Parts: sequence; C-alpha cells; structure tokens
Amino acid sequence: MAPKPAKHVPGKAPVATVVTMRLYIAGRAPNSVKAIANLEAICRQHLKDGYKLEIIDVCEHPRRALDDGVLVTPSLAKLAPHPGANVIGNLSDTSSVLAALGLTTVPAT
Amino acid sequence: MMGAPGLTTGHLAPDTPEEAFRAWLRRLVTDTAELEAFDAGQIDAVMDRDSGSALLLPEAQSALHDANRIVLSALDALPGEVCVLDTRGVVVMANKAWRSSGAAHQRAGLDVRAGENIFAACEDVPESERADATKVAVALHQVLTRMRPSQSCHYVCHASPTRPRYTLTMTATASAGSVNALVTREWKTALKSVKEQPGTRSRSAELSAPAPGIKNHLLAALPAKDFARLASGFEAVQLTYGEILYEPGAPMHDVYFPSDCLVSLLTLVEGHRALEVGLVGREGMIGARLALGAATSSVRALVQGTGTALRMNSARFLTEFRRSPALQRTLFQFTDTLMIQISQTAACNRFHLVEARLARWLLMTAERMASNQFHLTHEFLADMLGVRREGVTVAASALQQRKLISYRRGNITIIDSPGLEAASCSCYRAVMERARPG
Repeated sequence: MAPKPAKHVPGKAPVATVVTMRLYIAGRAPNSVKAIANLEAICRQHLKDGYKLEIIDVCEHPRRALDDGVLVTPSLAKLAPHPGANVIGNLSDTSSVLAALGLTTVPAT
Repeated sequence: MMGAPGLTTGHLAPDTPEEAFRAWLRRLVTDTAELEAFDAGQIDAVMDRDSGSALLLPEAQSALHDANRIVLSALDALPGEVCVLDTRGVVVMANKAWRSSGAAHQRAGLDVRAGENIFAACEDVPESERADATKVAVALHQVLTRMRPSQSCHYVCHASPTRPRYTLTMTATASAGSVNALVTREWKTALKSVKEQPGTRSRSAELSAPAPGIKNHLLAALPAKDFARLASGFEAVQLTYGEILYEPGAPMHDVYFPSDCLVSLLTLVEGHRALEVGLVGREGMIGARLALGAATSSVRALVQGTGTALRMNSARFLTEFRRSPALQRTLFQFTDTLMIQISQTAACNRFHLVEARLARWLLMTAERMASNQFHLTHEFLADMLGVRREGVTVAASALQQRKLISYRRGNITIIDSPGLEAASCSCYRAVMERARPG
C-alpha cells in the first residue's frame, strides 16, 4: 500500500504525492455520471488538491480506451504513484476506490 | 468472440432484442471484475475491438436518449436559434427555432442539420459565399481548439434571391475533457417569402431564369413565372427520418417536393417485410400519382433521410398542374423516370446479389442527398433491400473491407465512389442512362 500523503507542514510548501487518475466514461450515461460524482466526492474528501484527473469519453475517443486496454466503462485507472490499479463500475463502493488509490488508513476487515 | 470460461450467459432464450443484445455484449467481457460490475448493472458501455467503438448497453442508450430529449426540449423552448456542435463540428442538436428558420429560408447559406458537419458544409457553399464560410470555419476551429472562448461571424446568403444575412456566434463549452460549441444564429433581415416581390425590370429579368436557391430539380426546371405562381401555395416543412407521408390505399392530402430530404417508396406484401421499390429525393416529388388522376397512394412513402421539402395541398397542386403545361411536362418526365427506376428495382431485387444491390442503393442515396455521408441502421437497410439483417451485415462488411465505404454505428461514409459504382450491379448505370432525357 502506498503511504498516505504527508500532512501539510506550516511555513513550507507541501510536497504531497499527487495521485494521477484516468476515468473512462460513456457520455452522460447513468453509471458514468455516477462515477464522476462519486470520484469527485472521494477526491474532495481525501485528496483535496493533490490529484490529477483526466476524464475520457469513450463515445468520442474510443481509440484511447482500446489503446489503454479498457474493455468496459465506467472504469477508473490509477496511473501514479506506483503501483497502478483499476476500479470497474460506478465507483459507489468508496472503500474499494480508496483501496485502489492507496488511501485506506484503516485496513478493511 | 470467445465466451468467458466458466460463465454462461444463461440458457434462457432472450425475450427482447435488448436482452439479446445485452447477452451478446456480456460475451465480449472476459475479466472477472468487469463481469461482476456488468452483472451489478454498473456498466454503461463495452468496447468492441472489431469495430473500434464503444457499444452502449440498452439502459445507457435509453438514458442518453432521454437526456438528449430533455436538453432538446429545453433548447426548443428558447426563442433564439441555437445548435450544439461536437468536437469535430458535427451538429448534435439543433433547436426548433433553428430548424424552422432554416427550412423557411430554404436552407439558404450555411444551414446545418443534426448529424451534418459544419466544416463540410463550409466547403460546400456556392462560390459567392465562400469567403464568409471560410471565416466561419476558421473562427469555429479557434473555438473548438480553445484558442478563443467565443467568436462571431457575419454571413450573407449571396446565392439566395433575397440575400438574407445573419450573425453566427460560436461559444466553447467543455465536457469530459473535450470542447464542444454552442452556436446561435441571429438573422439581420426579416424572413421573406420565396414568392416574387413587386419589383423592377431587372428583378423580372432575374425571374426569367430558373429560380436560384430552389433545390428541388423539378421546381428549378420550371420557368420563373410558373414557379412564382406555385410559390404562394408552398409551405417549407421539415421531414424527419421514419415519418410516413402516405400509406397504400390512403388519400394523398399533400404533395411534397424534397429540397434535401429523401423518401423511400415501399410496397407492402402481406406476411413479408416492406420492400423498397423506389427512392425519391430532390430530383423528384412525392405524390406525382395525383397528376395521373389517382387520389390514393399505391405505396408507403417513408422518409429515410431527414431534411426539408416544399409541401402543397393536393387540391391546389391539381389546379396548378392543370393550368401549367410546363409543370405537366416536367411531371410526366419525372413519372417516366420513376417508372424506369421502379421496374429496374423490381428486376434487381430478384436477380442481383445483396452486396451489389447495397452498393447501388448507397450510390442512389448519396446522389439524392448530395452527400457521401449518411446515417442508416442495418435494420433499415434490410427493409430497403428486402433481405434479412444478417445479409446486410455481411454485405456492408464486404464493402468496408474493400475500403469502398466505412460503416460505424450506423454512420455510412462512401470512401471510394467509382469503386462502389464498379461494385454495384448494372442497374445503377441502367437507370441513370435510361432516365436521361433524349
């Protein structure tokens, strides 16, 4: 598991780990809309500004998805920090998203 | 496509086409996590490597359809003329005001409809409007590439007799990482009828030539005074894909002169699918049978290419037909051409292979729509050609493999017209040659 980003140290620019993610969605289809909302909520709560998110609409850019080996949408790929991880579906299961992003503080029992 | 090991799609036969499609899509999914999400109803689309596209699940399709309908009805409620373009400049939606003013102006200038590409339309304008169209294309490119948030361009419809003018304002809107554009159109001149205005000698001289801006070939071929007399009885209408204008045996209340729409004539035989026997676009009219003394239609007339037409009620049409020898000549000639097309189609349906017939049909459609790009489903093509859907799939794939057409999610583009003509049956050329006057 990747360590939790370091706490902000007053007086010093925070050198937090930036989580880079790519979310593949299909236009405004229901699960895609939910996935965006769920992911944004998780990011707001757990990552503040420490993340980069690229959203790819596979209806408009199917080639990108195929080249990246994505088979279904919605699908979230964590690209950095290492290790990479994927979550499939509308991201309503917050704990599995947090685990994939390496953000679980208390291991799930 | 390989099925997932240890998983079945169920032994129950699917009850609906949606279920069958879902079962088929499920077979494309091979990984466990993806299958779990699929079965939990958390998937919107499955990528298909063969076609290189995203295939939407039925629920996602209908949700997108509903969402689009809500957005379109909201846009329709606006008094201004608005259309929405995607990143490539294709019109995703056009509101009611946009559609009806485009129809009322006979699609003068740079009028685009849902599914059409505005960049392609910019290249397709008459020479006199080229400068304005180029400015629009450049400005739109800047908006879609984030160079400018918004741009406005003036456009004068030089090719239209009344030279209407408007301002197009293009504004960038971002969604899911790509930039779309919202386009508004504001006319600077009041809508004028195509009817002759009281005018000067030079105006009368103009009217002795075939009316410019009239896209229907039959009407454009009429002497100006005959057309001017007809003009007041016309109403510009938008005909939408799937709309039925006539049913066999039912009275023909109106006649239609297509400007840029396409209408299929279908014969219905009990117990069989409808079969297309004729195709009419801007080169002809719908309802020519009235001129032969019949009051009812012998075929189903089905709109298969959305676009505009000029409509006139049948009584008025008959009155005009009786008093205009030029209209009579034009219509008899068209009826003769249509009969050639119908008889050739009957023979073609009986003797020629699906692939050659599909090639012929695509060429005829392209010619009548004046476009090499159109949207057609396999289901629809199967009806047009009187074959099963699978037959169309095989034929379309064969033409695609030969790089004559590209077919993606119902969007057909003719890549190689001469090649397609070579692949089509002799009927295409035969109709063209026999229909030629003289």
